[in-house]
Amino acid sequence: MSDTLHWRELELGFATIPAASVKRGEYIRLVMDIQYQMDFMVHVFPNRDVSGGPDASWQMWLETDTASYQVGTSEFSCRVGSIIRQRGLLANLSLRENLLLPFMYRLDQQALKKATREVEEVADWLGVTSVLDERAGERSSYTHALVSLGRCMLAKPAMIIAQESHIGMSPERLTHFRGLGRQALKTLGSGLVYLTATEHEGSGLSFSRTLTVDSGREMLAFRNLDQKDLPDIGEVEDSK
Amino acid sequence: MGMKGLTWDDIEGRVDRVGAAVLHAAGNVRRFYEMMVAILSVGLRLRWLARPAVVNVVIRQLYFTGVQSVPWVLVIALAAGVLAVYNIVIFAKSVEDLSLIGRLVSGLLAQEMAPLLVTIFLLARSGVAVVTEIGTMHVRGEDVVLRSLGISVNEYLFWPRVMAFTLCGLILTFVFLLVSIWFGGMVVAWSYELNLIDYFIEVRRGTTLDEIGFLLAKGTLYPMLCGIMLLSQGCRVGRDPNLIPVRATHGVLGSLMLVVLVDVLLVLVKEIL
Repeated sequence: MSDTLHWRELELGFATIPAASVKRGEYIRLVMDIQYQMDFMVHVFPNRDVSGGPDASWQMWLETDTASYQVGTSEFSCRVGSIIRQRGLLANLSLRENLLLPFMYRLDQQALKKATREVEEVADWLGVTSVLDERAGERSSYTHALVSLGRCMLAKPAMIIAQESHIGMSPERLTHFRGLGRQALKTLGSGLVYLTATEHEGSGLSFSRTLTVDSGREMLAFRNLDQKDLPDIGEVEDSK
Repeated sequence: MGMKGLTWDDIEGRVDRVGAAVLHAAGNVRRFYEMMVAILSVGLRLRWLARPAVVNVVIRQLYFTGVQSVPWVLVIALAAGVLAVYNIVIFAKSVEDLSLIGRLVSGLLAQEMAPLLVTIFLLARSGVAVVTEIGTMHVRGEDVVLRSLGISVNEYLFWPRVMAFTLCGLILTFVFLLVSIWFGGMVVAWSYELNLIDYFIEVRRGTTLDEIGFLLAKGTLYPMLCGIMLLSQGCRVGRDPNLIPVRATHGVLGSLMLVVLVDVLLVLVKEIL
């Protein structure tokens, strides 16, 4: 499985996000202001109802062994998961419906049946079984992140785009979510693009590359860590 | 007198303001039209029927907008509709022209009162709810959630609401009409104003196929336009929760104005035809 996410250079106001590729199993971190994170997300998850999207000339695509899927297509959405801070739930649905939502929307009945069979198991793993059929309503960042992670476990995406998903959690919950996140990534083998405003983002993950996007014109720091210097996936980075 | 003190700059400033207002209004009309086309095209493609997520929302919206409204529409029909029928019969008898019963029931009650009252009722009951719900979803960033999951907002959020408004509006208009005519006739017969059979004969005689067509058009068009207007206002809340009540007011009043405008246009079209 040689799934790779590619994107072309992206101009966001005074900042430039350089072209890059992320392989399945590779974790990279994009450090930039929150506004640029949101702009980047708008490009990665464009409004499908508007033809062309925010910048029709910009390209991001997921390359697999058999095909290439452009950003904005349903095939891309099936294969690229997301964990966005405080953006994981629809308030008027139950947690179960939230977990199954993408499967209930797609035209793939087999995927829906499979996800319906697995949802209890995933809920149990997340520790939300007792509230699975409760209306979501207003929930904490932690629950938003848990449900997003649960959806990734059900969808088994090749790549996950996470945006400051560890921010705003209490220390106990952060520790728990770090553990779940690492376990999920290990199980799924997915690649990860982590958008954050600071390198001390608290995910506890070891990134193979960190791209710091400055609001000035230049891409200031592009730090490649040597793979052999990396700690094991289980090791927790000091989040300070 | 007032013009004396005006300089060219003042005049240009006023012209600029008028021009800006016209452009703003034209922009709103264009946005409304684009939204309507986008929602209808995604809905009429019927792919949503194979998507359980959308079907669930459709069922909820139909229940909320239609089923829960039935008792209220019955009450309005029994009060306003029956009263209208009774007054029409009294008036027709007073001018000794019973053929007026059918013409007035068809022209006044069926074509003007029923679609307008049902639309106003839907606006009062569900209008604020639609704007508030969509606005709150934007404030919470739920549109971002949907986009990140590859879900079309038009198909998942907007189409079910527009469809519920349109379908329920049409059905409730007919419910209103049937209850008004039936119970109105019973009240008329009960008060010895007119025999029930004669009343129904006059109503039938005064109703033409064209008028039923207009009733269908109004019963469909008014709630649909209101639904789209409410959604467009809900979308304009953005991330600012303080705008929810502002947009709700704009949505309801804008819908009312739109319905009145379309009503006038339809009358003109009918006169021309």
